[in-house]
Amino acid sequence: MIFDPHSLSALVIPVAQAAEEAQAGGPAATLGLNAKLFIGQLVNFSILLLVFWKWILPGITKGLQKRTERIEKSLSDADRIEKEKAEFEQWRQQELGKARQEASGIIATAQADAGKIKDATLHQTKEEQQKLIEQARKQIENDKQQAIQSAKTELADLITGAAEKVLRKKLDAKADQELIKDSLKSI
Amino acid sequence: MLQLPTLAAEPIFYLGSFPVTNTYINSTAAVLVFAIFAYFLRKSLKKSGSGAPRGLANFFESLVEFVLGYIDGVTKDRKKSLKFLPIVGGMFFFILFSNWIGLLPGTGSLVIKHGLENIPVFRPANTDLNLTLAMAVFAVLASHVFGVLAIGFFKYANKFIKLGDIWHAIKSGEPIAMLVAFIDFFVGLIEVFSEAAKMVSLSLRLFGNIFAGEVLLTVIGSLIAGYGAFLIPLPFMLLELIVGVVQATVFAMLTLTYLSIAVTEPHGHAEADHEDIEVSEVEAI
Repeated sequence: MIFDPHSLSALVIPVAQAAEEAQAGGPAATLGLNAKLFIGQLVNFSILLLVFWKWILPGITKGLQKRTERIEKSLSDADRIEKEKAEFEQWRQQELGKARQEASGIIATAQADAGKIKDATLHQTKEEQQKLIEQARKQIENDKQQAIQSAKTELADLITGAAEKVLRKKLDAKADQELIKDSLKSI
Repeated sequence: MLQLPTLAAEPIFYLGSFPVTNTYINSTAAVLVFAIFAYFLRKSLKKSGSGAPRGLANFFESLVEFVLGYIDGVTKDRKKSLKFLPIVGGMFFFILFSNWIGLLPGTGSLVIKHGLENIPVFRPANTDLNLTLAMAVFAVLASHVFGVLAIGFFKYANKFIKLGDIWHAIKSGEPIAMLVAFIDFFVGLIEVFSEAAKMVSLSLRLFGNIFAGEVLLTVIGSLIAGYGAFLIPLPFMLLELIVGVVQATVFAMLTLTYLSIAVTEPHGHAEADHEDIEVSEVEAI
């Protein structure tokens, strides 16, 4: 690396030139201030701001705004849903409790009704049974009476028949009397 | 022989009587690049629709969000920030871009012969006081327009020409109030001068820093011959990258401060003093 001694002197020359120019055209000219250039640069800068303001920013800020709103909405929605969930859970528990109560009520009434029906049916059955037994007993009594009646009739016929047969063989008064007595005794 | 950049931008050609200087070429190039960027950005935004942004849109959105966060820090109001964003953000990105493309190879080294002199075809746009002054004038005028729109013409004018205060003091009839109003009147007149000082300080700060960087790089690059000429300027180039961001930030932040002060209603001396301190803190950079 070589140090260039010319460069230092070269540094001084433009500074001296600038000082001379400053004296000649005033500080504004030295600094390069120029009305036309100023307006030109102002127009350039204004165009740039216009491009930035009208073309670049709207899409970006709109997007940012939309996203912020969306996130805020999602957050508030999440809170709302959480709250609704809690409310629903409470409501569900209440309804479940009510349903349980109702169900146990229904079961109790059903059991009571069933008990009543059972008792009534039992009672009715018993009555009918009693009636049937009564009827059967009467029937049996009737049948018995009838059987006895018919047995008596048949017996009398038999006796009459037997007596007729005996009488036809040897009929005398004594034998007849005894026969009648015996027959009457055996009845 | 070492040829240092001149204070004034050199005309490359003339359009009628309008001198198209090398700095003007650079600033126009920046505008064109912004326009092309805007075209592709809109395309990218259309492609992504309402869903998640991709590519260019995503990248630029993160930048804008960063700048917007910065502006929010000063204004404390998103609505105001969105109002100021086109000016402050536009300024920031333009100055940053102009400063950085000034470091690309070709700027300063691509020259045309003009007699004995070599005139660079491209020069960093902010080494032209015309541009920095134009931006400063724009910034200060914009702050006045915003101020008038926000708090009304008479209230805003009373910040500078405090006739209203004098009138109120006379109506109150208190001699001390009248004296204070009288002093305030002169303070208001000083404010008028401070508005001019704002333009001068804004423009000269940016111009001075970028011009000094250009001179520094030229000197450092030509002090040592051989391969060193490539290596030695590298740390200074890095410094210039940082200077580019810092100066863009300072210019944008000061503009933002002027804008936000202009739109606040005048309340009392305590707050005005507080604002002055904030501005001087940023100006110190």
